[in-house]
Amino acid sequence: MSYNCPKDNRVFMKLLEESGDMITIDQEVDWDMEMGAITRKVCEEQAPSPYFKKIKDYPGFESLGAPMATYRRLAIAMGMDADSSIPDIAAEYVKRTKEEPIDPVTIDKKDAPCKDNILLGDDANLFHLPGPMVHGGDGGRYLATWHFVVTKDPDTQDINWGMYRMMVFDEKTMVGPVLPFSDMGKMFHGKYAPKNEPMPFAAVLSADPMSSLASCAPSPIPEDKFTGQLMGEPVELVQCETCDLMVPATAEIIIEGEVIPGIQIEEAPFGEYTGYRTSPRDPRTVYRIKAITYRNNPIMMISNMGMPVDEGQLLRSFSLGLEMHKLLESQGIPITGVYMLPESTHHLVVVGVKRCYTGVATQIGNLIYGSKLSPWFHLTIVVDEDTDIYSKDAVIHALSTKCHPIKDIHKYENQPGTPLNPFASPAERKTSTGSKALFDCTFPLDWPTSDLPIRVSFDNVYPQEIQDKVNANWEKFGYK
Amino acid sequence: MAQKEYDTYVLTDLDAVPDERQNVEIIIRDLNPEDRRTKYRSFFAKANVSKDKSKYSDVLWIRLGRGQLQDEPWSIEVLEEVNKFA
Ligand SMILES: Cc1cc2nc3c(=O)[nH]c(=O)nc-3n(C[C@H](O)[C@H](O)[C@H](O)COP(=O)(O)O)c2cc1C
Repeated sequence: MSYNCPKDNRVFMKLLEESGDMITIDQEVDWDMEMGAITRKVCEEQAPSPYFKKIKDYPGFESLGAPMATYRRLAIAMGMDADSSIPDIAAEYVKRTKEEPIDPVTIDKKDAPCKDNILLGDDANLFHLPGPMVHGGDGGRYLATWHFVVTKDPDTQDINWGMYRMMVFDEKTMVGPVLPFSDMGKMFHGKYAPKNEPMPFAAVLSADPMSSLASCAPSPIPEDKFTGQLMGEPVELVQCETCDLMVPATAEIIIEGEVIPGIQIEEAPFGEYTGYRTSPRDPRTVYRIKAITYRNNPIMMISNMGMPVDEGQLLRSFSLGLEMHKLLESQGIPITGVYMLPESTHHLVVVGVKRCYTGVATQIGNLIYGSKLSPWFHLTIVVDEDTDIYSKDAVIHALSTKCHPIKDIHKYENQPGTPLNPFASPAERKTSTGSKALFDCTFPLDWPTSDLPIRVSFDNVYPQEIQDKVNANWEKFGYK
Repeated sequence: MAQKEYDTYVLTDLDAVPDERQNVEIIIRDLNPEDRRTKYRSFFAKANVSKDKSKYSDVLWIRLGRGQLQDEPWSIEVLEEVNKFA
């Protein structure tokens, strides 16, 4: 069943414009930091996406900043009402991802907008595209900030779409970090590089919003099928010009080439999702390009990572939290919900659980820290049903009052962790080693009822008739 | 020809870098190319580099690993571009 998600970036932009979630900037803007600065301010103020119509030096190219940096834009992308609540959007994601994955369909090249323009050989030059200098201080121009890289597993033929940033080095070369625990890292470093074989890739710049969401989500399902599952209908793909990989037909720009074994080139620094420039310039994975194809008047998307909230933080928090939700539910843990805070740069997750048995909080910690999701976050707060997981105030109150500083804080050492963590030591960064903590904010079950503290709030310590009377008279008292 | 400006990232202790280096291979970024669309193009260069900013005709700005720009530039003479993929 189709969920009416926009299947084309341009349809998505139309919806954003209609709902007031995008503004059009007709003045010329510079790709050299100006577009980035506008997009950064938009993220920090949670303002509508900027649609840049005129880019200096690049007539004919357009750009969209911060395409999905708010829950409103996420709701629109999912085919829902822009005003949908976070729990409603979350419930919809969980429902859809429990349905069967949907295989993609292939369409003819002549029907694929991404083939409007095809550049091969010397014409395939990365400086032909308006790669932005996203932040002051970046190590280069990052063409790929809201995109994904398509690769194929040589053994299983499974397809991976993953968002892995790419910096322009020269006209034919891009470089970027491919972390060892990522799907592409396991494929390239584990399978192609040991045989000294180049790995074909296609970088899809600016696809429809569900493909983008799928490619930065930690789902175990190949993302071309996962996108279909999220949309309730197949994603339409078309074959690349220089290899047998398939790419979304309506994507704005495609860059084809090979990931090269046996050489690494310096990449970064870059403004990262943690809100810092953390990873230093270092040798990283090399992409050599063979072809560029793009739609007429291509609209290149820019995500500007930095202080919250950008779309990486929002969508990664959303999907990481909900994949944890499904994992815990599949293990029979009586959770009431899981919410990962985008403001925490997807480092802090709140898990709500029914008061059930002793040790449930540590069991939750063991499960989520033992899962594939674990490198990306390191703080877990477990609360009982007394606390609204979506209320930061309620969670801070529970943490400050129910978590015993010695008995209820559990530490996990020698775990996988991203080298991007600002607090990680240089040695921990080199080996992608992390540490984690769990905060158990549930009162112990073995305390007699008579010893349990009672939460003193309007909704908890007054009889219903008193609450109703106060509420009924509230405005009459002069309160708004 | 107008003075060229490049920058490079020094990933070791700045004081440990010799004051004069001849024919070294470093990665530099072109900061003022003729075609503005290629600004920040990087390349491997064989070059002579001096911490004395007036020794060679072209300017070499210095950045540290996390992009920190140093106040005083060095100078550089680019001898040739090295193609790693030939
Ligand atoms: C904007 C953005 C940029 C990202 N850049 C990278 C990157 O450069 N390297 C990386 O390994 N992961 C990066 N990630 C995280 C991956 O996209 C993420 O782990 C995704 O789920 C890929 O998963 P997989 O490798 O498990 O398939 C980025 C995420 C976002 C949202």
